[in-house]
Amino acid sequence: MAIDPYKILGVEKTATQDEIQKAYRKLAKKIHPDLNPGNKKAEEQFKEVASAYTLLSDEAKRKQFDAGEIDGLGAEKPRQNYYRDYADAGTANPYTRNADFGDDNDFFSELFRRQGNRGGGGGEFKMRGQDARYRLTLDFLSAINGGKQTITLPDGAGLEVNISPGCRDGQTLRLRGKGQAGIGGGSAGDALIEIKVAPHRFFQRVGDDIRIDMPITLKEAVLGAKIKVPTCDGSVTMTIPKGANTGTVLRLKGQGVARAKGGQGDQFITLKVILPTAPDAALENLIREWKPTTEQNPREPMGV
Amino acid sequence: MKRSEFLMVAHIETHVLENWVEAGWLLPQGDADDYLSEIDLARAHLINDLNELGANDDSIPIILNLIDHLHGTRNTLQELLVRIHEQPENTRQEILSGIVQK
Repeated sequence: MAIDPYKILGVEKTATQDEIQKAYRKLAKKIHPDLNPGNKKAEEQFKEVASAYTLLSDEAKRKQFDAGEIDGLGAEKPRQNYYRDYADAGTANPYTRNADFGDDNDFFSELFRRQGNRGGGGGEFKMRGQDARYRLTLDFLSAINGGKQTITLPDGAGLEVNISPGCRDGQTLRLRGKGQAGIGGGSAGDALIEIKVAPHRFFQRVGDDIRIDMPITLKEAVLGAKIKVPTCDGSVTMTIPKGANTGTVLRLKGQGVARAKGGQGDQFITLKVILPTAPDAALENLIREWKPTTEQNPREPMGV
Repeated sequence: MKRSEFLMVAHIETHVLENWVEAGWLLPQGDADDYLSEIDLARAHLINDLNELGANDDSIPIILNLIDHLHGTRNTLQELLVRIHEQPENTRQEILSGIVQK
């Protein structure tokens, strides 16, 4: 479905930048989520308006859109949480003094909704339970491979969390209905789990790829070899070509991180040639006798 | 989060952050390594949005102050509702029907 940013802002295609800004301001003043702390819909509406404005207020992007080069989503603004999500949540908050009770539902509207369908004395009200926030630190391989983890809740109970493979540092998982119980038959809140991923001793994650520095011996480098390389889910045997050098990068296709939309990243192996740790008389003799076929100055690019 | 990360995600310059902290718009609670928190970031986004909406340096502290009051009131009222719910059935009905009749 095509998204028309002009329509969203309610302006003509010929509108000036000034008119576009005015239209945006008029709408945003009404629907900005932080100016509507109790209205959940405001967030969706504002997101639309803000991304329409991001696109049209950038003259280059607007031209591209008018020419049909990008669609109305081309400029969607990745948005962080809103202030209200924190100021209204049950976490410690330096900006307000009464921060102990959080809720996603609007309790004002709960009050007034009751007024609408009040039967007899009208004493019942429902309230959705609070969301509960937790932190979970995963070791590197658990995040890459996924699996079940258990969080111990403050009351001693365990909460099982399913980690999907390829989980990222900073990601927040939402477990529906696993927060605080609702009141008066209201639904339970959600558990929000912020994931931290600990670094690994030798694996490094770059996007969906895994990088690793792989030490090899001088002999393996000069003559080539088959060596075992650790991967995130075990190890594989890989061929080091003859004449491999420090800095040579080899690729293990499909041995990286699982992608959310299917497929897998790669593992990249950077070789590092290591000389014997203790002086070796045989090697010294060999090198003393060695006459290179071509003399080489590896410092030539430095001009020395 | 670190100061550098914060500046990048919030799209602001160092001196802007310093001004905001000095004016008391942001109250970082962390130490040097973990200087600013998620709530500080959300608040910085809000300040940016208010700027974009035409609020100036004089009106922003007024708006922030009112928003903080609003959240404080919401939190207190919610606490009150929870307490009311803990009352015996007839007390609860009495209190609540009293409110909605107004």
